[in-house]
Amino acid sequence: MSVLFRGRQQGAKQVRISAWRRFVTFWLHHAQQCIGSLGELARYPFASLMTMAVLGLSLTLPATLYVIVKNTDAVGANFQQASEITLFLKQGLSEQEVATFSRRLQLSEAVAQVELIDKEAGLAEFRERSGFGEALDTLAENPLPDVLLVTPAAGHRGPAAAEQLQQQLAQEREVDEARLDLGWLQRFQAIVQLIRDGFLGLALLLCIAVVLIVGNTIRLNISSKRDEIMVMKLVGATDAYIQRPFLYTGLWYGLVGGIITWLATALLLWWLSDAVADIADLYASQFRLSGLNLAEMGVVWGLAIGLGLVGSYIAVRKHVSAIEPH
Amino acid sequence: MIKFEQVSKAYPGGFQALKNVSFAIEPGEMAFLTGHSGAGKSTVLKLISLMERPTAGRVLINGHDLKRIKRKQIAYARRDIGMIFQDHRLLMDRTVFDNVALPLLIEGYSLGEARKRVHAALEKVGLLDKVRHYPMMLSGGEQQRVGIARAVVNKPPLLLADEPTGNLDPKLSAEIIKLFEDFNRVGVSVLIATHDLSLIARMRYRTLTLKDGRMIDDGLAEVTA
Repeated sequence: MSVLFRGRQQGAKQVRISAWRRFVTFWLHHAQQCIGSLGELARYPFASLMTMAVLGLSLTLPATLYVIVKNTDAVGANFQQASEITLFLKQGLSEQEVATFSRRLQLSEAVAQVELIDKEAGLAEFRERSGFGEALDTLAENPLPDVLLVTPAAGHRGPAAAEQLQQQLAQEREVDEARLDLGWLQRFQAIVQLIRDGFLGLALLLCIAVVLIVGNTIRLNISSKRDEIMVMKLVGATDAYIQRPFLYTGLWYGLVGGIITWLATALLLWWLSDAVADIADLYASQFRLSGLNLAEMGVVWGLAIGLGLVGSYIAVRKHVSAIEPH
Repeated sequence: MIKFEQVSKAYPGGFQALKNVSFAIEPGEMAFLTGHSGAGKSTVLKLISLMERPTAGRVLINGHDLKRIKRKQIAYARRDIGMIFQDHRLLMDRTVFDNVALPLLIEGYSLGEARKRVHAALEKVGLLDKVRHYPMMLSGGEQQRVGIARAVVNKPPLLLADEPTGNLDPKLSAEIIKLFEDFNRVGVSVLIATHDLSLIARMRYRTLTLKDGRMIDDGLAEVTA
């Protein structure tokens, strides 16, 4: 691609390179520079590993937070009694009517389970638990209503859906009052949301930090090779050709940094798993921490590589073109 | 081959390196550019190799106005110009082979093709036996010859040399100049900037003289005389 001498008739000898050869060399250059930059990193293994570790460990925090949020979501799904709806039925319904109503609810697709606590059972329980046994004996008749405990079906357990169901049930002719203890669930979900937002913000900050760290490291790399870059420019190297090894360096940082993130996250979760199991046992739960799955590991890796590339890209864009031979 | 049309160059800060310089060098010509230091020799070479742009006037190579060469094309334009420097600008952490092969690999030659050409270039400058050496292991004259091999390895039609004999004794200088003559004989245009007047005096080449940024002698008068 001669700019000044098309075909170079005047030179000592004609130089011609075919389009196919150009295509092959383009990829050959890529492969060479890819391997070359790896060799360059291997020449200073300690410094390279430090940068990779910074990248990897910076991403470990968001990855771990993500795992925690994911697990809290799983825990949240376990607390189904949180959206149990209590129906206080009207006084004066016959046993027959209560049973029919209960069966009718059972058939509704929004309802998973209905449990009847009739007024006798309710009174017995109250007598037992409250200690007002003798006082209750003085009552002429049982003041308690029949109670139905309704567990919503899977799709209706969220606070909004459960509340809608509660309002719908309150309209029923047999129902005196429908109660839903949403407070606890709402609080729990608010906390999960807080953690999630915090995790997003923190993750964003750490990603920016990673880009800056990689960018700065590459910038130092570039300035330490100033003379070499100048010579390459003098003998006709394009900016793209000079930039490529640095971009590959960024890629390698991300590639290895991502693996460090996997290991560090796994280590951290292993470290926490005993403590979590203890807590779960105290709540008589089978819950166990689940780590990153394959797809999530892929995302973490992709993110690490992407950040490495972005960091090095910012550095080469700014600094390679600034070096001019003089 | 090279044409300067009323070229002026002022550096940032106001230093006027060239004032209204015009001259032309024909294809296949070999010429010396001389003048005391600071007279503007290096600036002339930098304008040709696109390391600097003129403040006024036009520089043409092979009829192409360098003003038209965009930033992105500079790298390609430089592949047509072999450049040799006083400090030879070799990469010290690469072997002689890697240094000479650099322009070829950048241009996209295969390693096999590059090897052939590198060996041919090193043979020309008499350093074929030093192909695996590092520049540090070579003498000043040898380093300069590696620089020349690198400049000619992709057979550019134009060679520029900035004080190529600056650090060498007269015998080595003569050898270097003889190399340039060899390249010139096969059709390469050569422009050598030097303040070594004794070197020029022994030869009958055209000599352009700069003084304080002005061309006081373009060497043509003597030729016609």
